[in-house]
Amino acid sequence: MASRPKSPGPNSARSDKEESFWDKIGTLGRKKRIKEVQEVQAEGRYAIDSPGNPNNPEIPPEDYALRDNEQRAIIQPQSLADPLVKELQQVLIDWINDELANQRIIVKNIEEDLYDGQVLHKLWENLTGRKLDVLEVTQSEEGQREKLSIVLNAVNHVLGFHHKIPKWSVESVHSKNMVAILHLLVALVRHFRAPIRLPENVFVTIVIAQKNGQILSAQKYQEQITSQYDDVGMRCERDAFDTLFDCAPEKLAVVKKSLVTFVNKHLNKLNIEVANLSTDFKDGVYLCLLMGLLGGFFVPLYDFHLTPRDADQMVHNVAFSFELMQDVGLPQPKARPEDIVNMDLKSTLRVLYNLFTKYRNLS
Amino acid sequence: MEDIFHWCREGNAIQVRLWLDDTEHDMNQGDDHGFSPLHWCAKEGHTKLVEMLLQRGARVNATNMGDDIPLHLAAAHGHLDIVLMLLRHRSDVNTTNEHGNSPLHYACFWGYQAIAEELVNHGALVSVANKDGDTPLDKAKALLAKRVHDLAVESGQELKKISFKDQSWLGLKTRSRDATLSRYKGINIRDLELHTKIAISPSGETWRGRWQKNDIIAKILNIRDCNARVSRDFNEEFPKLRIFSHPNILPVIGACNNAPQNLVVISQYMPRGSLHELLHSAAGVIVDTAQAVRFALDIARGMSFLHSLERIIPEYLLNTYHVMIDDDLTARINMGDAKFSFQEYGRLYQPAWMSPEALQRKRSDRNWEACDMWSFAICIWELATREVPFADLSPMECGMRIATEGLRVQIPPGTSPYLTKLINICMNEDPGKRPTFDMIIPILDKMKR
Repeated sequence: MASRPKSPGPNSARSDKEESFWDKIGTLGRKKRIKEVQEVQAEGRYAIDSPGNPNNPEIPPEDYALRDNEQRAIIQPQSLADPLVKELQQVLIDWINDELANQRIIVKNIEEDLYDGQVLHKLWENLTGRKLDVLEVTQSEEGQREKLSIVLNAVNHVLGFHHKIPKWSVESVHSKNMVAILHLLVALVRHFRAPIRLPENVFVTIVIAQKNGQILSAQKYQEQITSQYDDVGMRCERDAFDTLFDCAPEKLAVVKKSLVTFVNKHLNKLNIEVANLSTDFKDGVYLCLLMGLLGGFFVPLYDFHLTPRDADQMVHNVAFSFELMQDVGLPQPKARPEDIVNMDLKSTLRVLYNLFTKYRNLS
Repeated sequence: MEDIFHWCREGNAIQVRLWLDDTEHDMNQGDDHGFSPLHWCAKEGHTKLVEMLLQRGARVNATNMGDDIPLHLAAAHGHLDIVLMLLRHRSDVNTTNEHGNSPLHYACFWGYQAIAEELVNHGALVSVANKDGDTPLDKAKALLAKRVHDLAVESGQELKKISFKDQSWLGLKTRSRDATLSRYKGINIRDLELHTKIAISPSGETWRGRWQKNDIIAKILNIRDCNARVSRDFNEEFPKLRIFSHPNILPVIGACNNAPQNLVVISQYMPRGSLHELLHSAAGVIVDTAQAVRFALDIARGMSFLHSLERIIPEYLLNTYHVMIDDDLTARINMGDAKFSFQEYGRLYQPAWMSPEALQRKRSDRNWEACDMWSFAICIWELATREVPFADLSPMECGMRIATEGLRVQIPPGTSPYLTKLINICMNEDPGKRPTFDMIIPILDKMKR
């Protein structure tokens, strides 16, 4: 089973219960002193934990003031409440938390936790498996900017921005610009083929304020964060399926049809009919049943989830079916379990085609 | 020397019992001259020990190097009660040893009149000649000879001399087992002479071979990744399959652990093969109701013993593939077919024999003894009908339909009403209402008579 470490969910983060314990055990006089100690401790902890916050809560009014012909872009607050945007943020947060689970880093908010470059630094190291020579912790704003600039440089280099200008910059990330951070994360997800499925065609509404003389004009426009992707699967060596997708879409239909015929020939024995290759296999149930039918064994119903409730159970099913494939002597599938669950057609086809080549003559 | 043969000779009941209680001890092994514990106890006249050994299933007709069976020794040393006990356990009264002597020869020669009379009453021939051409009557003194002669005439024996025929080359005798068989558990793969590949199954390759002058079966397990953890689990689990102490269990003799290359499980070679082969291929053995009941009783005894050990790992799944038939038509639970914890994860190849709850729930979440009882019911069904259960369905289809659609075996009309009833009791839909093997054994015992 692919045992990617998972980050603990939000429920597992518990608040400290120590205080109540000490409250009970101390006498009244000691209690008071204990309280004092605790207050000092809390203050100290706050001093350590509180970030070197560059944005003071009280923003001086001159920051709002625009000079003549100056522009400023702001996300329309309503568009952040859009369910798709919320989903995108959640998917990204979960992904970062899964990636950084063994670093014991938990991200809760995209804007607040990423601007200082600390998490981005770890994320980059984790994704590339390389080390970046920067300070681990920085407190001052200047240090943060410097670190962020090194990290973003490395990120841009990996993502291949040599001539084009990325949609993010040290300035925009550090000023907690949501649009810039989202663009950056989506680009990372796409480049490293993270095993997640991003909501497609997510837009946010941007308001641009401009000052013309005495008049303040506002313009709205839609900024696209994600588009449609047909290749969320694992990056691997180019094979016939890549060629098929790129060069011969008309042949793709033929391949799909013969695979559907093949799987249905066997699944029909259990009164199951597959119609859509990319969606019907996502929960892994049919893959498990198909392995039993092809391999000549019964798959005990306690080893997989016959009616999976969430993505974790689906990933378990698909991973389990991958194990069965290797047990009967098939090569390791060129896909990650998550790719099947994320309904990546190419990965699903690769897996089914593997079965087809070995068992096509089985009646 | 302090060993089981010594204790049997001196009649040390406590030590013998302790030794028998260890499952790794084989009561049918012989010493250097092929004397089994039963031989020694019969010779020395330890009636209680003979009774204990017979109860636990010691082989009554095992021979030593001189081709004596325990009955020869008991008759020669004048132990009447032991002679009677051995006869009750179907000791073959006319077995001859390497000199051509039957037990009656010895009883007559030593002048044990009561024993000679009992032997003749149980069908001992008075006129069979040994290698020197002497019959038991020739060996007896005048008075005894007269008495034995009269008895034989009374029971209608032909008194014409039956001349000696050397039949030892037929290989019909069952020697007590080579004691070395149970002595070593870790075996070097280079000591095995594997000569014929018999089968390839999903669990591995099965080879015939020889080891220490014994015919053996070696199963080379099919493990995808034979890593250190698997190797450790194997070393921990296979000794639990070395159950030599019950006649209806076929032990794993030993194993080779050549991780990371391969793991090999070694057991005794059974030329008759599995019960499945015997029932469903032309094996030339007639399985009538009586034989079916004998097989069922053997299986029930073996399973009952297995359950008494309360071992969960490795998991033994009861079906006719996993029951071997010994040369004397004893059915034996084959421990070599038990599944190691790391073996065939997520794959069940014979779901037709399994109960619906066994297909749906983990072993820890169900009553596994009751599940074995269901499998036993399917075995009886198979013995009664001589058909393979759900032969037309693939394992996946058959398992799904048993688990979710209530597919069950049908008992054809004309099946023995006793067996029908037994099958229905054993495969009660409610696992809690199925009997245990201890409860089934007396029923089968009664049916056998």
